[in-house]
Amino acid sequence: MNIISSLFSGSGGIHPNDSKKGTATQATVTPPIPPLLAVSLSQHLGAPSKPLVKKGDAVLKGQSIADSNGFVSSRVHAPTSGKVVFVGPRMTASGKVATVVEIETDGLDQPFISEPPAGDWTTLPPRELIERIHQAGIIGMGGAGFPTHVKLSPPPGKTIQTLIVNGAECEPFLTADHRLMLEQAESIIAGIGVLQHIFKDAQVRIAIEDNKPDALAALARAADKLTGDVQIVRLRTAYPQGAEKQLIYSITGYEVPSGGLPMDVQALVENVATAQAIGEAVIRGLPLIERLLTVTGPALAQPRNIRALIGTPFSDLIAFCGGPRGPIGRLICGGPLMGIAQSSLAGAVTKTTSGLLVLPPEREALFSSMPCISCGRCVKACPMRLLPSTLSEASETEQDAIAEEFNVLDCIECGCCAYVCPAHRPMVQHMRRAKVRVQSLRKQRDAQKKKQTS
Amino acid sequence: MEYILLIVGAVLVNNFVLTRFLGICPFLGVSKDLPTAVGMGGAVIFVITCASAVTWVFQYWILVPLHADYLQTIAFILVIATFVQFVELVLKKSSPGLHRSLGIYLPLITTNCAVLGVAVLNIKKELPFLKSCAFGFGAAAGFALALIIFTGMREKISRANPPVAFQGTALALVTAGLLSLAFMGFSGLVKF
Amino acid sequence: MDPVLTQTIIIGLTGLICGAILAIAAHFLAVQENPRIEKVTGLLPGLNCGACGFAGCADYAKAIVTQAAPVNLCQPGGVETVAILAAELGVQAVAAERLVAIVLCNGDDSRAARSVVYNGIADCLAAEFVGGSGKACRYGCMGLGTCARICPVSAIRIEQGLAIVDPAICIACGKCVPACPRTLIKLIPESRSIHVLCHSQDRGPDVKKVCSVGCIACTLCVKICNGQGITMNGQLAEVDYSVPLDNDEVIEKCPAHTIHRRTGRKPEKPA
Repeated sequence: MNIISSLFSGSGGIHPNDSKKGTATQATVTPPIPPLLAVSLSQHLGAPSKPLVKKGDAVLKGQSIADSNGFVSSRVHAPTSGKVVFVGPRMTASGKVATVVEIETDGLDQPFISEPPAGDWTTLPPRELIERIHQAGIIGMGGAGFPTHVKLSPPPGKTIQTLIVNGAECEPFLTADHRLMLEQAESIIAGIGVLQHIFKDAQVRIAIEDNKPDALAALARAADKLTGDVQIVRLRTAYPQGAEKQLIYSITGYEVPSGGLPMDVQALVENVATAQAIGEAVIRGLPLIERLLTVTGPALAQPRNIRALIGTPFSDLIAFCGGPRGPIGRLICGGPLMGIAQSSLAGAVTKTTSGLLVLPPEREALFSSMPCISCGRCVKACPMRLLPSTLSEASETEQDAIAEEFNVLDCIECGCCAYVCPAHRPMVQHMRRAKVRVQSLRKQRDAQKKKQTS
Repeated sequence: MEYILLIVGAVLVNNFVLTRFLGICPFLGVSKDLPTAVGMGGAVIFVITCASAVTWVFQYWILVPLHADYLQTIAFILVIATFVQFVELVLKKSSPGLHRSLGIYLPLITTNCAVLGVAVLNIKKELPFLKSCAFGFGAAAGFALALIIFTGMREKISRANPPVAFQGTALALVTAGLLSLAFMGFSGLVKF
Repeated sequence: MDPVLTQTIIIGLTGLICGAILAIAAHFLAVQENPRIEKVTGLLPGLNCGACGFAGCADYAKAIVTQAAPVNLCQPGGVETVAILAAELGVQAVAAERLVAIVLCNGDDSRAARSVVYNGIADCLAAEFVGGSGKACRYGCMGLGTCARICPVSAIRIEQGLAIVDPAICIACGKCVPACPRTLIKLIPESRSIHVLCHSQDRGPDVKKVCSVGCIACTLCVKICNGQGITMNGQLAEVDYSVPLDNDEVIEKCPAHTIHRRTGRKPEKPA
């Protein structure tokens, strides 16, 4: 299959050193099954899943342990066989307390289902394929965690013309998607085939950044099996090229409207790992119980790409990678720009964990935050063409109406502004805080309006 | 052509707030929030333009023929006060929100030295009727321009964190002074 | 003509004409306003806190006059305001008991352990995005002062990393309640003075690791009260504020010193 280059280039963005050399060429390894798994029931966006098991229950690998709670929700499965030892609130890697099912593993890895589903999946209607995806507990593995079966069910009147498979992996340090594309290209293509059955009239664009020429070649070879309008697109390497809205623009030239969704420009984006999981779920009947992630960082002895079971404690991963090299200054779940700093070593892998960064203690100067000097670097860097300086000041002085007027709700929290700020301001934290305040301001306003009209 | 020069002179070269230092009270009082400032600017433009016209007529058709020029100040204030009250009545009916946010500064246009200043200056310069109105309009437009620019600056300052000694009116006055300095750059543009 | 006469005629006539114009204009541009709304607005405290559920005192007054809203919604106004409003409108009204805010946590820096350094915005909502401000207990007060900043009467102060409400100043407007991301602040009747100052759902041994005054769920207090007044909610003892509780024994017997007496708004009578 031919590789074409993307035609459109968005505004803003940054070009940090991608720091991927350490792990880009390392094959993925699978650690031994950890003794304890902590599986969160709030890995996805939407209502937390309802537990189906209680303390003392025995579970098998792939068995459903939590059910969907409403339409925008997902299912959760046991990553391996063992016994449930705890169902209750625990602090998770996202910084929030959630219901967690702790499973003491027995090392036997006994599966719940040992045969793929009968029949030819290509004859099933899209509705059934989407239901299989739902049953497998698949959520957006690129980081957002939106339940995939909901994303694949746009409301009537919204057609999908462009299906984009996101292999950009633009964040520094992370190489898991890269390895997945090199090692399991066929599996990803199989998943794309399933998506083509669901959206029969859509054109498929597989997007990969140009710093991964081997992945581009691997997918180009494997994609020959696909029929229809399929293209591999080579993207200019930049951060955040892999962000949904930026990706859609690069490939189609359409901008997702403010407050809108990709389906408003007839586009749909799925991460390569999600595409692969879709294929495994529909064709082989396997639920989502493991994922690839990059455990790396200057303070880690042996950085690696790991295929980890969902619920693997971070401490186990760090130990498997040879332990820390000196004191750990900061532990980040995710990438350096969009990840979440951990307040303890007690977090565990979820379906959206793309990496684990172990960083040494930082220089003092990087920590102090000063007032905004209106230098404008952030305005230049913002990929959504917002005014981060004004927004961060509005957030600081709690002027929520100004923040709303300057479209803080369109911020994608990519971290470009924080990266370039010479005053080392905690920009993304300001944005998140402003968003929460603006949303509660809107709720208040709607409640007032209702009161006046009633 | 002369009309354009007249207006440009009044708006930029001899700006009523920043060069002649008239009308500082509403300039500092209404410059906290942009929609309010725009409303105030509009009200002032209406009052000053109409007041220029009516006071000119009053001066040359009533006061001068009756040799009563010395009544200028009182008579002008009467006329201006009537106009301002009229504007207040109209605003209260048409946009109560703006009326509430302008508050006391709306009736204060009456005693605003800029309004009386324009009326008196028209007479002093011995301008004919249409030129008086143009000058009035230019003066008020200059006031509105300075007010809106200053409001934008103050809104930006309100998002910053100045040292305690500078907070509030202190920094506002320093900024006004700097804005005035900036407008000095227009001197010599139009000889008027 | 005599100048004095001229002056008088000119100015007098001008004044009369201007006045006439304004009078006619006022008649056509009249705005209907219910004077009662203004009067009722004057009877309210004028704090515009929003505790009544309306946008401000003027809004509440409008609702009272035009929509017969209940007159006992103003918390800061208290019993006196309810009586005055009831008299003005000729309705019967019973004042709800006055409330006061309390922070259900006692873990200041001398009692609650810290496990990480938090280096971000000094705001509790912002800190909650990363799981807290560095204190090991994930249910306790973060001490970054979001509640203190939103209080319109500065009734909350932060001491050693813990927010404390001064009941004498608190007007029970309720703004601090949604401000706390860990829902630690409650509005309770001011007559209730015994409180379990903890909100942790961790099990006893885990609580002891992170705080010296956290509730360890020993259920002794529940037993002393015979289940009336204090009940268990998961791993936390909770006071039932709907019933009066005046049992000093629970304060003395609590092994973790979690239960305290905090005075209400009225000054205590001398013993």
